[in-house]
Amino acid sequence: MNKPILLENDKHLSNELLSLPADQFKLVVREEQIYDAEFKTEPVSYGKDVWRRFVRSRVTVVAAIFVLAIVIMGVIGPHLSQYTVTEQHWDLTRLPPRVPGLENFGIFDGTAIREIQAVNLPNWEHALVEIVEEFNHYGRTGATPFLRIRINEYHHAAYVFADNIEAGITPDPTDMYFWFGSDQLGRCLFARLWQGTRVSLILGFSVALINLSIGLIIGSMCGYYGGKFDMIMQRIMETIGSIPLIPMAILLIILMGSSLRSLLLLFLIQGWISVANGVRVQFYRFKSREYVLASRTMGAKDIRVMFKHILPNAAGTIITAVALVVPSVIFMEALLAYLGLGIEAPNPSIGVLLLNGQQNLLAYPFMIVFPGIVIVLLMLSFNLFGNGMRDAFNPALRK
Amino acid sequence: MVRYTLQRILALVLTFFVTMVIIFFLINSLPNTLLSTLIDFGGGPGGGGGAHVTEHTVEALMERFRWDQPLPVQFYYMMVSYLQLDFGISLVIRANVPVQEVLMQHLPVTIQLNLFTLLLIVPFGLFFGITTALLKDTVYDHAASSLVVLFISAPPFVVAALLQYFLAFRLGWFPIILAPEATLNWTRFYSMILPILALSFFPIANITRLLRAELTEALTSDFMLLARAKGQTYRQAIVGHALRNACVPLIGMILFLFIGILWGSIAIEEIFSIPGMSRILIRSINVHDYQLTLATLYFYVVVTLSFSIIADLALGIIDPRIRMGGRKDE
Repeated sequence: MNKPILLENDKHLSNELLSLPADQFKLVVREEQIYDAEFKTEPVSYGKDVWRRFVRSRVTVVAAIFVLAIVIMGVIGPHLSQYTVTEQHWDLTRLPPRVPGLENFGIFDGTAIREIQAVNLPNWEHALVEIVEEFNHYGRTGATPFLRIRINEYHHAAYVFADNIEAGITPDPTDMYFWFGSDQLGRCLFARLWQGTRVSLILGFSVALINLSIGLIIGSMCGYYGGKFDMIMQRIMETIGSIPLIPMAILLIILMGSSLRSLLLLFLIQGWISVANGVRVQFYRFKSREYVLASRTMGAKDIRVMFKHILPNAAGTIITAVALVVPSVIFMEALLAYLGLGIEAPNPSIGVLLLNGQQNLLAYPFMIVFPGIVIVLLMLSFNLFGNGMRDAFNPALRK
Repeated sequence: MVRYTLQRILALVLTFFVTMVIIFFLINSLPNTLLSTLIDFGGGPGGGGGAHVTEHTVEALMERFRWDQPLPVQFYYMMVSYLQLDFGISLVIRANVPVQEVLMQHLPVTIQLNLFTLLLIVPFGLFFGITTALLKDTVYDHAASSLVVLFISAPPFVVAALLQYFLAFRLGWFPIILAPEATLNWTRFYSMILPILALSFFPIANITRLLRAELTEALTSDFMLLARAKGQTYRQAIVGHALRNACVPLIGMILFLFIGILWGSIAIEEIFSIPGMSRILIRSINVHDYQLTLATLYFYVVVTLSFSIIADLALGIIDPRIRMGGRKDE
C-alpha cells in the first residue's frame, strides 16, 4: 500500500484536511489550457547554465581536455607502439628513450652518459657520440685519467650482442626505437605506460560507477524513508567507514591475489559511503518541498518521486564525487604497488611502473620519469576537472 | 558533552572490535601459514633449511599456538593475552623474541619521521594559508595557489623519487638513504630530511588551501566588519575572529592528514630504506610471521582510530553544533 507519509507528517496542513476520507479527493479538471508568460530573455535551463559556467572557467576546460587526452591515450596508446605490452627483448634491457625525428635534435636519441677510464676509450668507438668531460680519479696509485662519454646505447647493445643478432635471437637494435625506453625485461615502456594508464583508468571508472550505484540506492532509501532504517544504516555506515582501509587492503590482496577484481572489491568496501551520505542529505533537504508534495498528491509512486523529482537535485554532488573518486583510486593503487601489492604481471598499472622506475631510479632515471609525469597529470587534471564541475553545479555560485 | 563523548567512545570500541575480528579472520584464512611451510619443506625459512621436523614437533607447535582449535577460540585467547599486554612472539623474523620487543626496535624511527613531519607541516601550512588569504589575488597568491594544486596532485612517492634523484644523487646535498646510526643524532636527522620533505608537501598544500578558503570567507563576513567597527585593529580582528573561525575545520583536517602521513610513510620508508614499522609489516607478511603482522596491523589501527576519536572530541569541544549532533543541511 502506498501511504502518503509526507501528508500525514505535514504539520502545516489543517486537521480537517488530513482527516478527509480518501473518496472525497477529486482531481481538478482544468477547462482551459494555462500558459506561462512569455520569457523576456532567452530561457536558460539548468543544464545550459551549468555548461556556461563550466566553459567560463578556463582551467576546468584545459583540465577536461587533458582528461580526454589521457583517456584517449589509454585506449589507443598501447597500439601506437610497434611492440606489444608483453613483448620481451632479453638483450635490449633498460635502453634509454629514442624517437625517430627527435633524435636529430639531441633529445630522445637513445644516448646515455658513462664514466670510463681514458685508456679504455678504443673499446667504446662503436657507440661513441661525444666526450663530455675529462677528469681524474684520485686513488692510492695516484691520479687515473677518466672520461665521461656520451654513447649511443642502441649501438652499444648491437655491438655487445652481435652474436645473438647474427643468430637471429635478438633483433638488430640499431634501427629500433623504444620511444620511452625499455625496462629490465626489454619491454617497450611506451606501450606499457599507456596500458598501465588504461588499467588504472578502468579501475578508477568502474569503482566510481559501482560505488555510485550502491550509494545511490542506499542513500536515497535512507534519505527518503528516514526513521529506523536510516538510523541503523547510519550506524553501519559509520562503523564500516572508520575501518582503516590499508590493513584491509594488504590482507585482501594477499588473500585474493592482486587482480583488478580484488582491488575493485577493496575500493567498494568504503567507497559507496560518501556517495550514500551525499545523496541522503539531498533527499532530506528536498523531500519536504512543495513540488514533491504536489507530485505526491497527484498520486506519484515513491520510485517516481525519488528519481524524477528529488534525485536530479543531487546530480551535481554525485557527478563531482564520481570525478574525484578516480584520482583517489589511482593514488591508492599506486601506494599499494609500492608495498609490493600492485596489479600482478603481465599487465602493468601505473603504480607498478612507478615502483619499477623507483627500483632503477639512480642508474636509469628515465624509467620513472614518464609514469611519474602521467600520474601527476592524471591526478591534477581529474582534481581540477572535479573541482570545476563542483563549482559549475553549485547553484550558490550562480550569477 | 558527556553524552557525546560516551557515544563517540562506544562507536570507537565497536569499530575497533569489528576491525580486529575482520583482520584476525582474514589473516587466519591466508592459505600459506607457517605451519604448512614447515611441513612442506621440513624446515622453517631461515631455520637452516632442511631441518627435520617430526610429527611430534608439529603437534607441539599446534598445541602451543592453539592452531588446532577453531578460530573463534583462538580469537578469544588472543584477546585475553592482548588485554594482559602479551602480544605473542615473533616466529620467523626474530624467532622467539616477544613481538613488543621487535616492534619497539622499529617504532621509534617511524614515530620520529611522523612527528617531525607534523612539526613541519603545521607552521608552514599556517604561514602559507594566512599569507595567501591576506594577499589574495596578488602574484604571490597566484604562484602559491598553483603550487598548492600541483602538490595536492603529486603523490608523495613521486615527490620522494624527485628529491632522491636530484637533491641526493645528482647534487649530493643529502644522503640517498637513511643513515644507519643507532640513536637520533645530527647525521641521522640530516638523512631524515628528504623523507620528511617528501611527506610534507601534500599536507602543507592541503592546509594552505583549506585555510585560504576559510579565511577569505571570514574576511568578507559581517562579524569582521563588526570587529573593526568596535575599534579592533585589523590584526586583532584577524587573530581573534577570522582565524578562530577557521580553526574548527583546520583541526579536523590536521588530524585527518596525520593519518594520511602515517600510511603514506609506508611507501616513503620503503623508498629511503628506513627500518620502521612498514618494513616489519611487509617482511612479516612475506615470511608468514603472522603474530607479528597481526600486532603491527593492530598498532596501525589503534593509532588511526585514536586520532579519529581525538579529532571527534576536539571538534566537539570547540564547536557545540557538532556535539549536539546538528547537521547544517537538515
